[in-house]
Amino acid sequence: MEVSHSVKERTIAENSLVILLQGLRDHVTTVELRDESTASGRVTNVDAFMNVRLAEVTFTDRQGTVCHLDELFVTGRNVRYVHIPDDVDIRATIEQQLQAIHRVRYFGGRDKGRKEFPRAKH
Amino acid sequence: RGAPAADPERIQRLRSLMVNAGPEQAAAEGGAARRRRAPRNVLTRMPLHEGSPLGELHRCVRDGVKINVHIRTFKGLRGVCTGFLVAFDKFWNMALTDVDETYRKPVLGKAFYVEPQLTLTRLFDRLKLQESSVKKGADSKTVSEELVPTNDSQTLGWKAGSGRGRAEDERERQKRLSRAGEKKMPGDSLHVATRGEADVGSGTAHTEGASAGGTQARSQSRRKKRPKVDYQQVFTRHINQIFIRGENVLLVHLAH
Repeated sequence: MEVSHSVKERTIAENSLVILLQGLRDHVTTVELRDESTASGRVTNVDAFMNVRLAEVTFTDRQGTVCHLDELFVTGRNVRYVHIPDDVDIRATIEQQLQAIHRVRYFGGRDKGRKEFPRAKH
Repeated sequence: RGAPAADPERIQRLRSLMVNAGPEQAAAEGGAARRRRAPRNVLTRMPLHEGSPLGELHRCVRDGVKINVHIRTFKGLRGVCTGFLVAFDKFWNMALTDVDETYRKPVLGKAFYVEPQLTLTRLFDRLKLQESSVKKGADSKTVSEELVPTNDSQTLGWKAGSGRGRAEDERERQKRLSRAGEKKMPGDSLHVATRGEADVGSGTAHTEGASAGGTQARSQSRRKKRPKVDYQQVFTRHINQIFIRGENVLLVHLAH
């Protein structure tokens, strides 16, 4: 379960539904873009801004021209839909991703390591 | 960094209580400090919007209310997704299940300027028309058009009367007919549709009947001189699970 290395991205993802998309890593899905083109392939990575990286992609552009690409990067803003495979349980995926973030955040135990949310000293 | 947020209040509370029961209060609070940080994540944020429109969305998640999400194209309505909401967030990103989407590809180019605004009524009228054309045995590649001058009055009140939209949709779907792709783009008062540009394929494969029904055509039918690709074709499809990015959502309509 690869969580982003950036604290900022982690919190953004944690508080939005992008985390569901991040849970789709290594699933084969279809991403429909804003301009009516579609990209079907395996999701390599989704970041907090919904930028999607796909591999082994069948890209149908808005005119209908189909082409095959090894890798495709879609800017988050250009995403309209992401089809979620039937075998993915939405709730469970979100919870798994949240747990992964939780593990990363509290890594090293209570009193060790750099803390994401330092406890106030009073 | 949200942890320090509650602490000033806490310190004040402690100070005010110090005369009476300072020590044990401090101990109790110290124990609670670790648990105080209630997890704040997308799932816990969903119920927090009570009283606001997003709170209504949460009600849909909780009660399994079927919703119709209107999707936007760069200008105007693209179509409707109807389904059950599983999760949402403050950006109106939504995860839907058991989705039926009815949509039309956007019209581009010259026709764009003469296109009347696409409304839900027109969308479903168009769909209805298509289904009836297919049923009549017309060749699926050359859909026979039933062109009729736009009856604007029927759709004028669409945006305003969105309250009536839900029940009306179904009724209109069942009984109304015969509008050839009159679609209005909001914000422009442009009228009367015609052919679109050549950049939208006529994927007829996707068309299927969303609602069967009688076909009383109120309009004259006019056969095209040459088989023309229909750019105003309405598509419907079923998707089991879909994620919609919030910025594409026009409005969300709850079905009772």
